[in-house]
Amino acid sequence: MKKLIFAALALLVTSVAMAQIPSVKVEDGKGKVFNTSELVDGETPMIISFWAVTCKPCIRELDAIAELYPDWIEEANFRVVAVSTDDARFTAQARSLAEGHGWSDYTLVYDKNGDFKRAMNVQFTPQVYVVDKDGKIVYSHTGYTPGGEYELFEQIKKLQ
Amino acid sequence: MKKLALILTLVAASAQWAVAQNDNKGYLVGSYESNTIVYAEDAVTNAQRPDGNFASNNYLKADYYNGNFSAGVQLEAYQPALIGYPSNLEGARLTNYYMQWSDGAFDVTAGTFYDQFGSGLLFRTYEDRTLGVNTAMMGARVAYRYKNIASLKALWGAPRLGMEPFEKTQVRGLDGSLSLSSLVGLSGVNLSLEGSLLQRYEPININAEESGASPSTIGWSARMNFESGGFIAKAEWVDGGDKIHTNPNYIIDNKTNVVKRANAQLLELSYSGGGLGINLTGRRMEWMESKVSYGSSETNNALNYLPALCAQYSYAITNLNPYIPQPGTTVGGHVNSGEIGGQLDIYYNFKRGTALGGKRGMKVNLNFSTYYNLAEEGSWMPKTLLWRNINVGVEKQLSRKFKMQLLYAMQEYNHSHGVGKGTWLSNIVVADLLYKFTPTFSTRAELAYLVTFEDKKDWMSALLEVNFAPSWSLFVSDMFNHGSTGIHYYNAGFSYTEGRTRVALSYGRNRGGMVCSGGVCRPMPAYTGGNLTISTSF
Repeated sequence: MKKLIFAALALLVTSVAMAQIPSVKVEDGKGKVFNTSELVDGETPMIISFWAVTCKPCIRELDAIAELYPDWIEEANFRVVAVSTDDARFTAQARSLAEGHGWSDYTLVYDKNGDFKRAMNVQFTPQVYVVDKDGKIVYSHTGYTPGGEYELFEQIKKLQ
Repeated sequence: MKKLALILTLVAASAQWAVAQNDNKGYLVGSYESNTIVYAEDAVTNAQRPDGNFASNNYLKADYYNGNFSAGVQLEAYQPALIGYPSNLEGARLTNYYMQWSDGAFDVTAGTFYDQFGSGLLFRTYEDRTLGVNTAMMGARVAYRYKNIASLKALWGAPRLGMEPFEKTQVRGLDGSLSLSSLVGLSGVNLSLEGSLLQRYEPININAEESGASPSTIGWSARMNFESGGFIAKAEWVDGGDKIHTNPNYIIDNKTNVVKRANAQLLELSYSGGGLGINLTGRRMEWMESKVSYGSSETNNALNYLPALCAQYSYAITNLNPYIPQPGTTVGGHVNSGEIGGQLDIYYNFKRGTALGGKRGMKVNLNFSTYYNLAEEGSWMPKTLLWRNINVGVEKQLSRKFKMQLLYAMQEYNHSHGVGKGTWLSNIVVADLLYKFTPTFSTRAELAYLVTFEDKKDWMSALLEVNFAPSWSLFVSDMFNHGSTGIHYYNAGFSYTEGRTRVALSYGRNRGGMVCSGGVCRPMPAYTGGNLTISTSF
């Protein structure tokens, strides 16, 4: 039986390519449903950060990036996508928090049913991804330690 | 094991088939999480220990995507489950497996899936590993979306309870939405109507039947959403169907159960723009507790979502007595049909260069929430105070290196959950200070004090964290109840992160109380021990 499992896993690995942005339904800041594959525009790479109103380190990380964004954007062309993993009850709070934290440079995404989170296999927040212009995931990181944002920018610069 | 092999083979075979069909290779993503505790004896805190002083929760999840097709599995192993987790989590099992096909319009799922109608008051199945909740439906779901105008979803299945689907309970649901604004082609305004129907069936015993209960019940939800120029209004009315409760008047009328009709109302108003985010929420609910099975009292026995709508704190000292919603109960012969209350939440960003914003801006947050139980069944009048909270938070980057967050909170908590009028009042202050020596080397300190004349009197706490970004973080902390018990709840640990892998090791004392996630809580006994957490995804 074990052999069969290994064989099946091996077979799976051979059919696997580099992970990329899945195509699932989420909502934008105005509550309109759209497909996550539309985030990929073929021109600009992006930082995708999964956060929640109850996740302090997530908010710290997004605040830190927001602080540096005006300087970074002069050096590299990229977008920041903040994905709120809050469910329907906390979406309003998440929207208010994003406004009150001045995340106006970000593309705000609301993943109320957790479909995007599950498709990306996000178990812990903050979970952050650097994605190239074609939607391929080139870097990801779990958790946030102050200063960790610099590594993300290094990855973005490599994609220019 | 056999099932696992079979499913893996199926998934692998379909992946190969998909590859054979087109050159576009699919991709596999997965994750592994392990949370292990070695428990130590600790007479001071009356710490609980499982047999063997060892417990471990493990989760392995893998999903395969290829074009419109996806499939996945989740394996869970509890060896045994960490203490405080629902006791129906035991052993190892392939708990979730599904196949899904979706294009822009259709979405078909067979196997396990998570879903919710509206805000989840009527129906929600979800996973939350902090709570030990996984109520995934085992069955089938078909959804259809017509442009941005209308959508319809139908589902059927048995929700999961513990390690497997609880097949005695069958749930059928319909959920639809219609965007009136898209229909008539309005721009700048969103107006939509939504509605759901839910049928729940579970065989009942003869006593419940003689009390007038029925195995099948149908509930519904009607919703309205409006959005225009930063303003959002949402309203929901729910009829939750019949619920079977124990009869508090058993001795008088000799019936074991009473049947109660559940209902709930939710109103949400919010505005965001110009650095201001404000939202006002009101909710009333009566007999709304919906269970997977009548026969279980575990915390993961829930078929809907009734979170506490109040400030969500992230500091331990502010979560000593979190609010637990009261959806209606007859337990212990005390009849409390439900609760009514609401919250106001305000966020504001003082921009750079303004008088209060200074050079680097300033963020403020205010939350007020209050809940009461209902004066009587069917009433909209409040009676006994269950919870009241006011908190104000300020966040300011004082210099390039120094960031300060201050929080003041006043909490009033009814410790008998409305049986009596007695409340505990606490005033809490927290200072959260971050200092960066270099861009990637920093320390963070959290200092907190709680004043109260009730329960265990005053608490204080301190935490010191040293961070070497992006990989290392070390911390020591202590929460000290100097008002009454004199117990120190100390903890120390570190975490190491390399890309998508995170390893955290800590040792310390944990007080008994409530563990909460997303406004839902589970009780947790006191324990002392070493905790190893490993998580990775690929």
